[in-house]
Amino acid sequence: MTIENKQVIISRPTKTVYRAGDEIIKEFVPGYAKSAVLKEALNHALAEEAGLCVPELLGVSNVNGGWSLVIRAVEGKTMAQLMQENPEQLETYMEQFVDIQSGIHRASSRQMGRLKDKLNAQISSLRDELDATTRYELHVRLENMKPHTKITHGDFNPTNVILGDDGKVYVIDWAHAALGNASADAAMTYLLFALEDQKKADLYLKIFCRKNDIAMQYVQKWLPIVAAAQMTKKYGAQKEFLMRWTQVVEFE
Amino acid sequence: MQETISISSVETLNARMAQMRCAQREFAKMTQEQVDKIFFAAAMAANKARIPLAKMAREETGMGVVEDKVIKNHYASEYIYNAYRYTKTCGVIEEDPAFGIRKIAEPIGLVAAVIPTTNPTSTAIFKSLLCLKTRNAILISPHPRAKRCTIAAAKAVLDAAVAAGAPEGIIGWIDEPSLQLTNELMRDADIILATGGPGMVKAAYSSGKPALGVGAGNTPVIIDETADVPLAVSSIIHSKTFDNGMICASEQSVTVLDAVYDEVKAEFARRGCYFLQGEELDKVRKTILINGALNAKIVGQSACTIAKLSGVEVPEGTKVLIGEVESVDLSEEFAHEKLSPVLAMYRAKDFDEALDKAEQLVCDGGHGHTASLYIHPAQKEKILRHAERMEACRIVINTPSSFGGIGDLYNFKMPPSLTLGCGSWGGNSVSENVGVKHLLNIKTVAERRENMLWFRAPQKVYFKKGCMPVALDELGTVLGKKKCFIVTDSFLYQNGYVAPIEKKLDEMGIQHTCFYDVAPDPNLSSALKGAEAMRLFGPDCIIALGGGSAMDAGKIMWVMYEHPDVDFLDLAMRFMDIRKRVYTFPKMGEKAYFVAIPTSSGTGSEVTPFAVITDDRTGTKYPLADYELLPNMAIVDADNMMTQPRGLTAASGIDVLTHALEAYASMMATDYTDGLALKAMKNVFAYLPRAYDKGAQDPEAREKMADASCMAGMAFANAFLGVCHSMAHKLGAYHHLPHGVANALMITYVLRFNAAEVPAKMGTFPQYAYPHTLARYVECANFCGVVGKDDQDTLDKFIEKIEQLKAAVGIKKSIADYSISEETFMASLDQMVEDAFDDQCTGANPRYPLMSEIREMYLKAFRGEKA
Repeated sequence: MTIENKQVIISRPTKTVYRAGDEIIKEFVPGYAKSAVLKEALNHALAEEAGLCVPELLGVSNVNGGWSLVIRAVEGKTMAQLMQENPEQLETYMEQFVDIQSGIHRASSRQMGRLKDKLNAQISSLRDELDATTRYELHVRLENMKPHTKITHGDFNPTNVILGDDGKVYVIDWAHAALGNASADAAMTYLLFALEDQKKADLYLKIFCRKNDIAMQYVQKWLPIVAAAQMTKKYGAQKEFLMRWTQVVEFE
Repeated sequence: MQETISISSVETLNARMAQMRCAQREFAKMTQEQVDKIFFAAAMAANKARIPLAKMAREETGMGVVEDKVIKNHYASEYIYNAYRYTKTCGVIEEDPAFGIRKIAEPIGLVAAVIPTTNPTSTAIFKSLLCLKTRNAILISPHPRAKRCTIAAAKAVLDAAVAAGAPEGIIGWIDEPSLQLTNELMRDADIILATGGPGMVKAAYSSGKPALGVGAGNTPVIIDETADVPLAVSSIIHSKTFDNGMICASEQSVTVLDAVYDEVKAEFARRGCYFLQGEELDKVRKTILINGALNAKIVGQSACTIAKLSGVEVPEGTKVLIGEVESVDLSEEFAHEKLSPVLAMYRAKDFDEALDKAEQLVCDGGHGHTASLYIHPAQKEKILRHAERMEACRIVINTPSSFGGIGDLYNFKMPPSLTLGCGSWGGNSVSENVGVKHLLNIKTVAERRENMLWFRAPQKVYFKKGCMPVALDELGTVLGKKKCFIVTDSFLYQNGYVAPIEKKLDEMGIQHTCFYDVAPDPNLSSALKGAEAMRLFGPDCIIALGGGSAMDAGKIMWVMYEHPDVDFLDLAMRFMDIRKRVYTFPKMGEKAYFVAIPTSSGTGSEVTPFAVITDDRTGTKYPLADYELLPNMAIVDADNMMTQPRGLTAASGIDVLTHALEAYASMMATDYTDGLALKAMKNVFAYLPRAYDKGAQDPEAREKMADASCMAGMAFANAFLGVCHSMAHKLGAYHHLPHGVANALMITYVLRFNAAEVPAKMGTFPQYAYPHTLARYVECANFCGVVGKDDQDTLDKFIEKIEQLKAAVGIKKSIADYSISEETFMASLDQMVEDAFDDQCTGANPRYPLMSEIREMYLKAFRGEKA
């Protein structure tokens, strides 16, 4: 592929996403863990195989030491764009957004990694950010969550949902997918909303809990854990916010 | 001396645990004296360290109040020592030689102890002392936030214990706590004493090891309108501010009845509490909870610190922040456990609304933990209602709940503890305050003991030919009876048997009436009729004259007369042991004195506690058995028996023999009943043929048979019967054979069956040591003059003698000989077998019969095979 016809969509320190013809290329910087790229590719493929509507994964390649995923491009708009363009329809979009997420939760896969393992590893890795006490509390909290085996996207937010021109709804970016609890996934989505707009977050949680007939407290129990997980992604400005969410206890 | 391993990895944990198990094995050998010396020294050392440990805890955790932590440390050492100083925890702790029961306390082994940050040093002292007293090793998993002070407390106790003789390293701790190590410890320990967040407690319960865990508290307080308001308010403030509210039993909400709401509010304000106003409420709400979970930064902080964190200005020295809120739902931040001096206050229009609120607060936030009530002590009904409604294991009345919950401070029967069980409501295995008994394995050593036995007979048994009028004289002269009700059958009545009794009663001026409508198999409707007549007549004495039927009918009418409301199904309920029966037989004799006068020599009913009645609508027989049914007086006068028909003489005579044989072979036979049984059977062999042949012409034979019947009755009234009667009952019921004949047809097969030295199953009774019935029958045989060359031969000859007797009095060879077709017999057999197996008489039989064995005996008896 030639550099000329590429159209950059996102540029992050670790990756660049661009479009080349009918393909979307997600290119990671050289030195980015090979295993992480392959894992994302595997998760993406497993989501496809689980029957979920995702853009087709076309290949994994390596150019000059940088690994990349090649995915078939989908024409359409993201849910984030639509929410922005039509704020008066926010509630309708949110309902649809929750339905899509719940659809993912109904799917299962044998081969995906376990959410609890991932979260435990993430909490343990935060030695510099969280003191031993907080990590201990978080580990205990996580330990006592029921081990579910639903497919969770792990980064389910409106920028990762594309309403295709073909009438289908595509979900992209499966890097954080794992088998786990729907409420943990909802907690992560709530957190991602709350980082931007608390009102949207509350609306989302209300709709998610209503549609899934679960208590808000059940999702809230995951918030300190997903806040810690989010801290591993090094969002500098939001550190204070995330930190506060982890500073809770469940005493005798 | 081995070096103590410090624990910072799974490997070091395992090595340390192995070391501690060795130490514990040594500890387990120590005596109560040694243990008590160690317990004392450890408690003293912990007590001495109370101030430095309190300071360390405050400094390390940044929570609570030093002075209050001093009290907790003091309490954990002194109160625990005091509570258990005299408690036996080693070896034999309880013994009752008479009952042969001994309880032996053994340690459990290695205890895993999870210690919380809220009460780190005091809980470490508490658990270590409990373990020392019970000879257990304890390995402590501190919370990372409180590890230094927890370890310091454990070390203080350990050093003193070792100096006093405890094995090295008997108390251990994880130096670098992590969830992984805690989980590993819980998996490998013998028991877990978990105190901590619900997460830790759940982890303990799911470790697969027995766990004593406790749960969250959310103590609701109700202040009733009758409460002493200043006492209530100051108690709550005192308790809520104690160590900045970190005791799990501490008050979280106060529901005040409308009538005293303003007074309570003013008192709280006067005593230094701050009522949050307007926006301040929301500010505090957002501070105490983050996304529905308790903010770690406010735990164990003072009211002023929390106010500051919330951006609320309060006066210096404010004791408690109070939010007047309405919802008890979890969506209300104030409804949660706050572990700090922050309190919710609710208004309730009446006591019931207050109960509703408190009930929900307990269920949602502190299920099984603690509830509190302030009320006038005379309001017993409300106190009881509150206790009924609260699903809490500690309910404290007019007591600061922090202190009330941990026990021994405001009530001296509540055991002191820093680990408070919350029962199944809180997902716990214990619902009380945890103490030494939860850390012991108690062995119960139970020696074989024999049941108490008895000999019971009517108070008066009068006998001798011609004795009846003399005996009846007592009714007037000694007992002063006024009204006599005679029960008999129409045959006896019409043939003048009642006349001598009536004559005697007339002489004494005793009013009398006679009910003579008793059927041969007494049934319920005739008994009901008799009882109704009795009710109308109102006797103070009942005379039952006749054979078994009339006497049994008399007994039943007696029961109905004395207790018109009893249910026959209850009375007839089967039992394994007459003293352990579920149903308590009603007391008899309150209305009438019962005299039984037999006219046949057979049932012995005049001296037995039994009666059988048939429900004529269903055909069901109800056998009743209870010593309440013993007649008060039995009059055995052969004059009443002279003209018994031959068939009756034969059948009831053989019945006497089976009574004697079964009572002698019974597992419950005693020396007291043996003599009676032996003499009775000897009489039967000697006199039954004469009585049968000569009838009234041989008054001596009649009298000896009357005595035999009564003696056998007394024997089986106390030793009971056996499987011969079980089978005879059903044979009689299904095929309408006279009871004595049915017994005669079965008895020799039963002798052979019971005499087996290797029975399929022996009967269950402590007195019955091993199958010995052959020897017992040989004793009977010898007494009756039968001697063989060995036991087996003696039994053969004895059976032969019984067969000869049966033949001599006209008993036929087989069931079939009584005109019962094979078809009819076989059709009823299975049900008969099952019913006979379940008969009340089966229980005393020395050989426990299998149903197939009963079936076999029935078949042999049907065909008249040789026994």
